[in-house]
Amino acid sequence: MSAQREVVPETMPTLASRTDAAYLDFVEGFREYLLGAGANFEARLNAALESAGVQDLEDIRRYVHAQPLGQLRDRLSRTQQEMKWHALRRSFDLQRKELAAELAAWDARGPGRLVLDPAFVPPPYVNVHFHLQPGGYYKDELSGFLYHYGTKVFFRGGNDRDELHGKLVSLVPPPSDGRVARVLDMACSVGQSTTAFKKRYPAAEVTGIDYSAPMLRVAHRRAAMLGEDVTFAQTLIERTGFPDAHFDITFAFIVFHELPLRIIHETVREAARVTRKGGLFAVFDFTSTADKSPFQRYHRWFDARHNGEPYSQDFCDCDLRSILESNGFTVAGTPLDERSGGAGYMTHWFATRV
Amino acid sequence: MSERDSPQTPEGGTPIAAADPVYLADPVLDATVRMVVELAAQVWVERERRITIEQLLEARGLLSRADIEAFKPDASQAAALKAERSRFLEDVFKELRRIPLKS
Repeated sequence: MSAQREVVPETMPTLASRTDAAYLDFVEGFREYLLGAGANFEARLNAALESAGVQDLEDIRRYVHAQPLGQLRDRLSRTQQEMKWHALRRSFDLQRKELAAELAAWDARGPGRLVLDPAFVPPPYVNVHFHLQPGGYYKDELSGFLYHYGTKVFFRGGNDRDELHGKLVSLVPPPSDGRVARVLDMACSVGQSTTAFKKRYPAAEVTGIDYSAPMLRVAHRRAAMLGEDVTFAQTLIERTGFPDAHFDITFAFIVFHELPLRIIHETVREAARVTRKGGLFAVFDFTSTADKSPFQRYHRWFDARHNGEPYSQDFCDCDLRSILESNGFTVAGTPLDERSGGAGYMTHWFATRV
Repeated sequence: MSERDSPQTPEGGTPIAAADPVYLADPVLDATVRMVVELAAQVWVERERRITIEQLLEARGLLSRADIEAFKPDASQAAALKAERSRFLEDVFKELRRIPLKS
């Protein structure tokens, strides 16, 4: 039994057919081909931009758009994303009734608790189809399943059993006094870091919050399947409703680049309010514009406009460290890019509440 | 190349492109590239299935290649094949509907 406890069961929804799985397998491989040495777009375009000495984003865009290679790269990037959602939605549509019934069956099952707010109205700023996901994060009752399988393709199958979330959570240092009684996972989506925190701190009370009910229902089903006693609650991360100084660790994984600047400030303020003195606010997100190559800056714009990431450029341009510091945090400055992202697109801020 | 914005409602940030942006010099080229990628996906799906079936058949000694060549579908099998063909055609050639008219 103890050996089996180490094996995280598969919680990914099943596709309607082997054909759908093979199709998505193609998309996963094709995406990897486009991103890496296969098509070699990034290395070639970046070398060209650097040798042309192009610095300003407007000039970078003009340069890439004037290259047939750049145009084709954009076309193919968009196409593989559209193919993924087309195939996923069709596959889930074919089993929509069964998947909805599956969610309903888990809603009231434990361990763990699902707290939805029937009066909740999503704020207008979340009406974005992030990563081109049809219906965005909340408009389809199967949004959580779509998202979870979509990220399977994104992580190229390397996160099917929450491997990445487990790794990132393991990198978060406990507060210096070692006390971890309560953990908050802000914008938990399908709850992969929430359950990873519960595994790391089994005695702690771990809560995941998100505005999206379909995400939270999948999160709860996953946690219950994994046997983890955690709570998922529908609330805004900038207005959580928790008491002051309630949490020892507050966590935010790749959410800040999906928030307008106004909400970034409000969320940091809220994290400062609910994190106790000496507690830790751990943020993983995109690297800043200053750390990007010319092509990466181009890609950030492309991703913003053509892959449903409208807030990501402003996030990369902002100074999250100083926002954290002006809200009562001190930020440890050990760059972990390699370890935290693995692909060099992500970094972290480990902020202690003073 | 003119490009519309999406009706989604982000607060500030980078305006999101509306559905079906055109990236290449001619919308027909965009459609052509999409069809080529779609065809590659369909070829892979078929190849994955065929390899799976051949390995299973061989492992179980159930069927020879001559049986496959001689297969004639009955009425319901033929209808199912036609439905599959429609799905295939739609997957590859749906792009034709997305070529915009010149304004």
